[in-house]
Amino acid sequence: MDVSATNSKLLLNLLSATSLRAKVLANNIANQNVPGYKRQDVKFEDLLTKELGRGGDKVQEILPEIVTDLESKARADGNNVDMEVEMTSLRENRLLYELYAGILSGQARLTQAAIHGDR
Amino acid sequence: MNNSSSINKLFGGMRIAATGLNAERARIDTIARNVANAETTRMPGTNEPYRRQAVHFAPIMERMANGQQMIGGVEVTEIAPDHSTMFEEIHDPSHPDADSRGYVKMPNVNTMKEMADLITAVRAYEANLSVQENFVRMAERALRLAE
Repeated sequence: MDVSATNSKLLLNLLSATSLRAKVLANNIANQNVPGYKRQDVKFEDLLTKELGRGGDKVQEILPEIVTDLESKARADGNNVDMEVEMTSLRENRLLYELYAGILSGQARLTQAAIHGDR
Repeated sequence: MNNSSSINKLFGGMRIAATGLNAERARIDTIARNVANAETTRMPGTNEPYRRQAVHFAPIMERMANGQQMIGGVEVTEIAPDHSTMFEEIHDPSHPDADSRGYVKMPNVNTMKEMADLITAVRAYEANLSVQENFVRMAERALRLAE
């Protein structure tokens, strides 16, 4: 068993990507009434999938990217924040965060069990 | 503010939502001032009626540790008088502020428009509150990793 936690690196990257996405979505919601503001999002899972398709050797080196969304339809004032989209993404993102945190806790418990034996 | 320490990172999202709360509150305050002065025909020291105030927002730009720019919330850039609409003149010779022709200039406040703005401001305030709640949950979950 790998107790040096190198296989948790991907999980930690996933956690920090979801954490960054929560901040970016919070920015969208804070700027919902700023004329001309363009919403942003974080790209990470897509990049992971792509790398896994290529064999996945560098899967732990992939970092999340902040992308500006210029495609969503803008309101008359040039702002393209859609509250339903933001709130849904925020909820989805929090569930993902809890999922990754749960897996990480599980791994830690397994490591503990391996060290102490099943007590 | 120091963004590099990890505890600030944990609560950084709450600060973003707080800037949103702040900005929307400023807008609600301004709407209240506009509605309260919707019938003020003379401002002290001038011979003009009250002029509607409008709040202007802009994103806050923050520099991250790697030199990249990231948006860090929203701020009120200015609360400026609204010159885009004219004062309406009504005929009321008995009014103390009436001119020699008997006309009184009324403030350029449209109460209906203010009320519609108030609804969007309150909704935006609530949205930012629920974002903050979201960060509280995430921080709680992160703290439970150590258990």
